[in-house]
Order: sequence, then structure tokens, then C-alpha cells
Amino acid sequence: MAAAPNVSLTLSNQPENVLLVRETLSGLAETVGVDGVELNDIRTAVTEACNNVVLHAYEGGEGPLQVELYVAPASVEVVVRDRGTGIRPHIRSEEENALGIGLSIIQALAPRVEFKDVEGGGTEVRMEFATPGTESLAPLDEAGFQAPAVADGALATTTGLALAPSELAGRVLPRVMCVLAARARFTTDRISDAEMLADALVSRGFQSSAQQHMTLSVQVGTREVELRLGPLGGGNAGKLIANTGAGIGPVVEKLTDERRIASEGAFEMLELTMRDER
Amino acid sequence: MTVTEMAVSTATRGPRFVPGTSEEQQLFARHQQGDRLAREELVRRFMPLARSLARRYDRSSEPFEDLLQVASLGLLKALDRFDPEMGHPFASFAVPTILGEMRRHFRDAGWSVHVPRGSQERALKVRDAQERLANERGRAPTVQELAQYLELGQDDVIDALQAIQAYESLSLDAPRPGATDEATSYGDAMGEEDARYELVELDATVSAVLGRIPQRERQILRMRFVEDLTQTEIAARVGISQMQVSRLLRRSLDQLRALTDTKS
Repeated sequence: MAAAPNVSLTLSNQPENVLLVRETLSGLAETVGVDGVELNDIRTAVTEACNNVVLHAYEGGEGPLQVELYVAPASVEVVVRDRGTGIRPHIRSEEENALGIGLSIIQALAPRVEFKDVEGGGTEVRMEFATPGTESLAPLDEAGFQAPAVADGALATTTGLALAPSELAGRVLPRVMCVLAARARFTTDRISDAEMLADALVSRGFQSSAQQHMTLSVQVGTREVELRLGPLGGGNAGKLIANTGAGIGPVVEKLTDERRIASEGAFEMLELTMRDER
Repeated sequence: MTVTEMAVSTATRGPRFVPGTSEEQQLFARHQQGDRLAREELVRRFMPLARSLARRYDRSSEPFEDLLQVASLGLLKALDRFDPEMGHPFASFAVPTILGEMRRHFRDAGWSVHVPRGSQERALKVRDAQERLANERGRAPTVQELAQYLELGQDDVIDALQAIQAYESLSLDAPRPGATDEATSYGDAMGEEDARYELVELDATVSAVLGRIPQRERQILRMRFVEDLTQTEIAARVGISQMQVSRLLRRSLDQLRALTDTKS
């Protein structure tokens, strides 16, 4: 498909990330109006594909789980990719019954399914779902798109996201922040704050971004969540948290414990830390 | 059940559906000749398959027993329609048939248009537990604490938190039992102009548009961003749930941003 994904997630294959993917799908469904029965199908099939990566791609070890969502008129495409052990014994062996069922489920629920080997090792499952009557989103340029990068060593605690356009990001990012804040053992008060912060960042993040996507990574610690937003255009990180104009500065200041701006070449990263002191 | 447990349970404890053991072929042959005992034996053998499919939809907030019943009906249909002569394993025929039955059930239950009742009930339970635990401990609970208290999976609690954000239903907006309309009296006491003045801190251009936000929302914004109260503290003062405070705050900030956008 000659377009950039609307959502690109770089995750570890930890089981709790399946929930994050499911919440992302719900946010997407809400944005374009996928109906409840279809959403259920998509969530069920994608859960099977993700569980396959969680359980089998790395032979009990850890590795990346990459998920991409593409919204087209009247259809949604989901790609689930791993960098696991070479050819896909873990998805092919139908006689191993649990996976056999998983595969049958994916095939029964997705009108089009494609399994592919990824160059350099790994497997890709591409599922297309019909979603008649859904709204379409502005098309995205493929040029220059890069999946959000997370260093392998940081993968266990860090989630990378790229989202576009803003109406989709507005439905997806607060849900993702809710999942991650819950994982950091935040109270429901602080979880709501994290969602409010996500709202604020989405409302201005696209104007500040150096790309057509809003790109960020979120690191989860104990009662601490650190968010890195960017690359942003030079000077934009400061504008974003300034206390003037129609900025979101005062809200960000109230909701976060630390704010830093880091330079990366011509670009900037906005680093925000939220803690739950309770 | 969480996604993890679901995955692990199907991987480790799942039944084996090895295609075409000769014993199974015999059972199908007898079943096709109308042998009721053979049919019962086949149902017994493949019930774990129906159960495992129903479990995958368990988080759709329909009671599990209902889902299992629908899946079992699908299994019976699959058994009656299966043709062993085609040479395919039964499971690969049964899965789509059972899933088809479940999808029809969701359609018939008005699932595509309504928020399912089970999901609403779960959301209300989570909201009430949040309130109870906050009262007991003097601070808002974590998702882990809510899950433990309600004997739900953490995934279910997070789903419920999201569902509450999405609801606009009156049942969730109604004042809590025994609550007085403190927000209004509170607002009257402190004076409208003060609230407006102090909230300007929130945003330099906000004063011009603040009057277009309802008074109760202005008060809640003020409590959170000027007085630095937590949402749980605001909820107690105003007599609504913390989840509703969260929803009102998010909505008001969104409105303020939209209004200042059109101004600037």
C-alpha cells in the first residue's frame, strides 16, 4: 500500500501490550465509525496475531512487536510484524492446535489475510477488514515515513508511537496513555491527568511536529511516566509549553512534574515527566 | 480473564484437534447415519473448541454463559453440516461456522448500535468502587487495586474506564445519591468574577472565551488548576464521580482550545 500508516506502534512482545493494541483499535474505530460487531471481529483477529508474536515469535524471549494500522475508504488494514526466528514455523504449524485455531480465527474474520517473511528474519501478518460506511481520513504521504524507533535495550519499558491525522491521534493517544499510566501504577486521578495531557499534546502537537505524523515515545517506570515528543521543528518545543498565546503551557505545567527541551540536530524533543506522588 | 491468561490457557491447556484420527472418522460416519451417541461424543470432544472461541469474545461484555450457548449452537450446526469426505479437518470447518453464529448473535442483539448492557454495568461497578476505595483510603485507587477489589482483570478495568469516558448517558451524569448541588452554591459564594480572573492563568487568551463555558465546568477547572485539588477531591465537593470530573475537565479544556483557536 503506497501510503504511510495512520498508526505505527513499536512495542515489546510482552503480553500486556496486546491490550494497548486493542485500545488503539477501539480509538480508531471511534474515529471513523466502525460498528461494534466489526470492531469485535477486528479486535479478535488482531489479538490472535499479536498473541502469536507474544507466545511464539521469540521462543520465550523478548523482541519487538510492530503494529501498523491503515485506514482506507470502507476498509481497515492491520499489519502485525515480528523479527522472530526466521521462517514462520510459529504461524504455519496447523497441527499445533492453539495456533491452528488462531489462524482459523484470523482467516474466518479477515476477508483478506497475507503471511509474509520479513527480510532479515521475522514474519508479517497483513489483515484487511471491510468496514462499510466508515468515514475516510486524509491520505498520508509515504515519503519520509519512519516507524517510531525504540532502542532494543529500552523496549521492555518503552512504547514508540507515530499517529496521524490529529482527529485519529485525539482518540488513540489518550487511550494509550491510560494503559501506560495504569501500568506505571498511577491512581485513577493521575491516569485522568495523563489523558488530559494527551489531549493537550494532540491539540498542538501537529502544528509543532517536523513530520506529518505526531511521533513520541513513552517510558514507563514505577509511578513515573516519561514522554518524549518529537522530532519537533526548531523552537517549537518551547512554544508548545510557553505561558503565552494559545499555547498549552499552563495545562502542561500543572499536569507534569518535569519539562525539558533537548536538541537533536535541527530538531527538538520535548521531554515531559509525570509522577504519582500520592 | 486477561488477554494473557486467555493466550496461555489456549496454548497450554487447549484441546488437541488433530485432524482425521480414525476414531474420529468413525464417529462422523456413525453420526451421519443418525447415531445419537456418536453425535453426543463429538459434541463432548469439540466443546473445548466452542468454549475457547467463546472465551475470545468474553471481553465483549456479554455474559460468558450466553456466549458459550451461542458458540455451542454453532458447534452443533457445524457437526451437522460437516462433510468428512471433503478431507478437511473438522476444526477448520467448525471455527468459521461457530464465529458466524456468534456474529449473528451480536447483530441480533443490536450490538452495532447500542452500548452493550454488560459493559455499562461493569463501568458503573468500576465507578462505584473507585468512589468507595477513595473514601476508605483518602486517595484514588490504582487500576490494580480496582481489579483486585472487583475481582476483574486489569484489562476489564481499563476498558471500563474508557467506556465511562465515552458515555454521555444520563445514568452516569445524574448526581450521586445524597449529593447536594455544591458546585453551584460554591460558585455563588466565591463570586463569578474571581473565578474568571484566576482562570486567566490557564491561558492568556482564555478570559475572552471563558464566559462561554458553563458555570459548573468553570468551577471544576478552577478547583483543578488554580486550587490544585485532585479530581477525587473535586468529585467529593461537587457530588459527582471522579470519572465524570475527568470527562468534564477534558471537555472544557477542549472547548477552551477550540474557542481560542477561532479567536487567534
